[in-house]
Amino acid sequence: MHATLKPEASTSSADPVLRVDNLKAYYQMNYFGVSREVRAVDDITLTIRRNEIYGIAGESSSGKSSLIKTIAGAIRPPLRVVSGSVRFDFDGRTLDVYNDPEAMKAARWRHLSYVMQGSMNVLNPVRRVKHAFHDFAFRHMGLSPSAFRARVEAHLERIGLDPQVLESYPHQLSGGMRQRLAIGLATVCEPEFIIADEPTTALDVLVQQDVLALIKDVQMRLGSSIIFVTHDMTVHAAIADRIGIIYAGRLVEEGPSQAMFEQPQHPYTAHLIASLPRIGDTTRRVSLPGKPPNLADPPSGCRFHPRCPLAIAKCETESPPLVPRGEGRVACWRAGEVAAA
Amino acid sequence: MFSILRDLLRFNVEFLIGFLLTGTIFLFAAAHFFAPYPDTAIYLLPPDMPPSAEFWLGTTSRGQDVFWQISGAIWNTMTFGLTVMILSRIVALAVGMVSGYLGGKADEVLMTINDTLIALPNIPILLLVYFVMRDQMTWPLLALTAALLGWNYDARLIRSVTLSLRNREFTRHAVFAGMSVPQVLIRQHLPYVMPVVFFTAMNNLIWAIGLEVTLSVLGFSDVNRPTVGGMIYWANQHQAAVSGIWWWLVFPIVAVVLLFLGLFLLAISINEYIDPRSRLSRMGG
Repeated sequence: MHATLKPEASTSSADPVLRVDNLKAYYQMNYFGVSREVRAVDDITLTIRRNEIYGIAGESSSGKSSLIKTIAGAIRPPLRVVSGSVRFDFDGRTLDVYNDPEAMKAARWRHLSYVMQGSMNVLNPVRRVKHAFHDFAFRHMGLSPSAFRARVEAHLERIGLDPQVLESYPHQLSGGMRQRLAIGLATVCEPEFIIADEPTTALDVLVQQDVLALIKDVQMRLGSSIIFVTHDMTVHAAIADRIGIIYAGRLVEEGPSQAMFEQPQHPYTAHLIASLPRIGDTTRRVSLPGKPPNLADPPSGCRFHPRCPLAIAKCETESPPLVPRGEGRVACWRAGEVAAA
Repeated sequence: MFSILRDLLRFNVEFLIGFLLTGTIFLFAAAHFFAPYPDTAIYLLPPDMPPSAEFWLGTTSRGQDVFWQISGAIWNTMTFGLTVMILSRIVALAVGMVSGYLGGKADEVLMTINDTLIALPNIPILLLVYFVMRDQMTWPLLALTAALLGWNYDARLIRSVTLSLRNREFTRHAVFAGMSVPQVLIRQHLPYVMPVVFFTAMNNLIWAIGLEVTLSVLGFSDVNRPTVGGMIYWANQHQAAVSGIWWWLVFPIVAVVLLFLGLFLLAISINEYIDPRSRLSRMGG
């Protein structure tokens, strides 16, 4: 298969903070003698540079969240890493997520934090907000309780929250405030790497904009890298430096967001971008025929071929490798012809 | 805490009645420390005296003052009930939370033990323990046995709560942030589970007192130590019901019924307070 073609490992990044190499993570289930394997993360290679916001886009059930969970090392059976590696580079120390659990444990929250899906609910409903900060961050900061409290309050003020919220219960706060708190919790230790899974999905557009500005602001101030997932292309357009498009567990295209929006290389990306509404443009938005493939039994060859308007015979049998093209990488046999389509 | 108590007393009639009943009975039971006679002594007083100014609730055929007997008996029965309650709550919490949170093999093993204990009938086991132990049978040993039989339904209840908490975002976050299993259980989940524990504690107390009375009435306990069931046991031995010594039977039964009623009212009103939906439906009138 295409593994022999050796996908290009990185796109000329001098200072990578995260390297994911040929990562495969499958949901493996075995009940009553029937085994099922869902290839949610299938041979993904990517690097993320320091000080970069990397967005991962894709439709529901394309494996976005599985990828990000695997990167964070927060997976539980039946999701298992089959092969490949995830390595972080913090303070010049390389940290292999799946070979060095102790070091990983020490690095979490201090160097690597995670804003989970549904993060509005990260706060325990029966405990005051201050306890959440204490539980998650106190041990990692090495401060005295009063210094810690002062630090947390200063941090909350910077992200636009009254320190009084520390004394509240989560249900006394609005959704936007809770989302801010979730980001506050993830950034209070000033981590070098932040993983965010759908950080704005449940919010209305105004709060969403607010939260995006906050993420961007925190990132600029801390100089950390962010990898975030959302299916919402407008969010990617707003804050991502580079975007990776996931389709059926595979990375199909990756590149700087500006270039990708101007000239998508993969037909799937082209459709994603074409589906965005534009003011003044009244042409009808066509949706892609078909539905996302079943990852337990993916199509042969290129996984997009059953829905692809450009599909040729080769697409049905051979899976295209992810190769450098322009400023990014793309996995398509007909990559050059997309813009014309 | 005190403001909750004040609100409950002011706005919840059941709680008020339950609180007064249980409180009065508790004070009455506590009075046995000032009893004029040792509570295990027999044939100190003229036997079979009906209630009078001198002996408020009469005397027994064994020459004991019924008033002071009941006082000591209620105290001992409540001590037994509370011991069972505390021990069985600890087991139920530990088993329920560990089983629900860890899942997998640990859950299977613990729940198999749990379900086996649920299937076994309690009274025959207690009788068996009594017949095996015989003279070594003391009330703490009986309390321990009862506690080991009384945790299983509530462990399942607590497990079901923990099971839903396990997949909540705040648990996943806590695990990611590096909290250990005991830390997650005690700091994140325990506050959530506590109301359930409080309510089951009241039910368990009522169950334990009932169990103690049952066993003592049948004579399967240390009958020389005054308990409510023990008094009824001795009254039956002396055929009090036939020979017209009604006060020996009636007063301990009334006392324990009032105690039950008080605890039950406390349990339902606290449950109503804990469950916000029933609080709302009460507001709706």
